[in-house]
Amino acid sequence: MSEAMQTFNLRSFEPPEGVAALRKDVRAFIAQEAARADASTRVNSWAVADAAFSRALGKAGFIGMTWPKKYGGHERHPLERYVVLEELLAAGAPVGMHWIADRQSGPLLLRYGEEEQRQRFLPQIAKGELYVCIGMSEPGAGSDLAAVRTKGVRTNEGWRISGQKIWTTNAHNSHLMIALVRTEEGSERNAGLTQFLIDLSSPGIDVRPIIDLTGGHDFNEVFLDDVLVPDDMRVGEEGAGWKQVTAELSLERSGPERYLSSFGLFVELVRAAGPDPDDSLAALIGRLSAEIWALRQMSMSTAAKLADGDDPALEAAIVKDLGNSFEQEAPRLVQAMTEAGDDLLADSDLARMLAILLQVSPSFSLRGGTREILRGIIARGLGLR
Amino acid sequence: MSESDAILLETAGRLFNDARAAETFETAWGEIDAAGFASLLVPEEADGFGGSWRDAFSVFRLAGYARAPVPIGETILAARLSHDAGFDAVAGACSLAACAEGRIENGCFTGVFSAVPWGRNAGFVLAALDDQLIRLNAGAAAVNENQSLAGEPRDGLAFEGAPVETARLNGADVFGLAALLRTAQIAGAMDAALAMSIDYVNERKQFGRPISKFQAIQQSLAQFAEEAAAVNCAGDAAFAALARGEASFETAAAKLRANMAAGVGAAIAHQAHGAIGFTQEHELHHYTTRLTAWRSEFGNDRYWARRLGRSVAKDGADAFWPGLTRRSDAA
Ligand SMILES: Cc1cc2nc3c(=O)[nH]c(=O)nc-3n(C[C@H](O)[C@H](O)[C@H](O)COP(=O)(O)OP(=O)(O)OC[C@H]3O[C@@H](n4cnc5c(N)ncnc54)[C@H](O)[C@@H]3O)c2cc1C
Repeated sequence: MSEAMQTFNLRSFEPPEGVAALRKDVRAFIAQEAARADASTRVNSWAVADAAFSRALGKAGFIGMTWPKKYGGHERHPLERYVVLEELLAAGAPVGMHWIADRQSGPLLLRYGEEEQRQRFLPQIAKGELYVCIGMSEPGAGSDLAAVRTKGVRTNEGWRISGQKIWTTNAHNSHLMIALVRTEEGSERNAGLTQFLIDLSSPGIDVRPIIDLTGGHDFNEVFLDDVLVPDDMRVGEEGAGWKQVTAELSLERSGPERYLSSFGLFVELVRAAGPDPDDSLAALIGRLSAEIWALRQMSMSTAAKLADGDDPALEAAIVKDLGNSFEQEAPRLVQAMTEAGDDLLADSDLARMLAILLQVSPSFSLRGGTREILRGIIARGLGLR
Repeated sequence: MSESDAILLETAGRLFNDARAAETFETAWGEIDAAGFASLLVPEEADGFGGSWRDAFSVFRLAGYARAPVPIGETILAARLSHDAGFDAVAGACSLAACAEGRIENGCFTGVFSAVPWGRNAGFVLAALDDQLIRLNAGAAAVNENQSLAGEPRDGLAFEGAPVETARLNGADVFGLAALLRTAQIAGAMDAALAMSIDYVNERKQFGRPISKFQAIQQSLAQFAEEAAAVNCAGDAAFAALARGEASFETAAAKLRANMAAGVGAAIAHQAHGAIGFTQEHELHHYTTRLTAWRSEFGNDRYWARRLGRSVAKDGADAFWPGLTRRSDAA
């Protein structure tokens, strides 16, 4: 043990000058555009799709912030974008409509797309007008994503794609789905896969709702029956789908939404506790404060590494899993230790938020990669597999 | 990391490893003292090393990683507090008391310091008494020797009319700084116990293969790594906050997070080691008992959680996020 091992180095979060002013702008924007969001929206904001809000956000220059201006972007620093994201999440603004396109679809096109695709789609995404969903999972391919079977066959018109995607969040509101498709017949596992931009209004597409356990409609099944997809909608090289999807997952896992998606619960807890809480409530608030603060440091450090061009896949897995665990434990603790937890039907913001989160929080450690899969990634990083 | 930082850490790592091998304070201290670590946080103008608070985090963390049997962190903090208070620089090991009780009359202190780390070996000891920082020569005390669960000296010092130096506290937080020292040591000890656990599960074979190949082992060590990451990040960030000024929020949050991590880490390390880790002979318990003892020292979970929770509640629900961001944006 002469070389002291360290699994996680703090990278300083050093955004350009003017971050305080930027925060002020975002806060003013939210106060104007999302002031009346109700409690259940505020606490699950990242899952709430609101086209009007997304368009206003795009107009204000807060979508596609880091992209080149020629694609409708704003050429801001990645850490400025991070600041905007955390402000939106902390306020519980309804960001679900454009979130995926801004977080991963746009960057995917910037990195692997054709020039023509960038010009065609990025400006509309940045305006908050074009929405994209993730077509990765299938009935037989969940954690084992390399088991996808949706099939693409080349024809003289382009591609014919058939199969089924599932758990497709926001497909019912989206214009495009970026789908991972098996394009080489007989290929196995992560070989022979290609990504496509699929226009969801194409003939042969059937989007069917899947109602979640709260009665809500966020995700869907997407059936593809011999859908014609022109070759200019292929993203990246034929057969390069796995490499691209891995990069996409890195973006999907590393953001502040993995610990901050239900921050509103903490705010309402503090409000309900008042200025002079009893010992046990004070201890609960203290514990949650410490965890939020520590997660924020870890998340900012990961963002700083991404901004420096590193690939902090291990750190992202650590922050996502810790963040998910925190966001699952917090509602349970609040339920166990507060008056609101005594009556989940009570007419208070805290009770309403609690009721929602106790139901939806199990999904936090499933979506974007399960706890077990993330820990497997960490274990590999530790040299155990 | 600058070149001088790299040299500092390389030297600290080597010296602390030697200190562990030397086993006792008496055999270990000389070399560390000679290397001049005590003045790490004293400015260069005052003939100190002029290191930063983040340097201090790294050095304290390495002391925890090596479980060096010396109060090097206490000595470094005492030197800085002494400098800031205008006390003369002193040679030798120093320490800090979590708790001082007593009174000062005519420049002399009568009272007790409890659980002073290496009190028996310290030249001078510092503590906060009401709104004053006080410093005493430990040689004047009757020593009531005691030790932590991990066998580290934690001595009672009783003074009877002993000459005392005093200065206004001026915002200096002796207890909080010591809590951050333990936070950094926990960060180091977590990584050391994690490294030890990884080595062990890769070596130990059951059912015909290394136990690291079992997914249950992989998943629990991954969780261990997450906790180690959290306390390392929290510690580093709290020391960075010290460099910016007032850091009472970060101090409370970091020690509390470290305490929580220490409990998880010690438990997983033992589970992964099986019975051999439960023996006196095996190295593991040196780390797990320190993690356990340090969790209680300078504020257990209850202490910091209540304190932090009260201050957050007092500021109000809508002040929390703006406060959090204002502090980090000031960096
Ligand atoms: C709210 C929500 C939104 C989603 N949105 C989308 C979306 O927009 N687009 C999309 O493509 N997908 C989406 N998903 C799907 C998500 O990516 C999958 O749920 C996830 O990858 C897990 O797959 P699964 O549900 O089939 O579970 P399974 O893979 O069947 O896993 C079931 C359990 O087995 C465990 N397990 C599986 N394999 C292993 C292993 N090797 N070792 C140990 N344990 C294992 C898992 O960890 C889990 O606990 C969404 C899911 C949710 C819950």
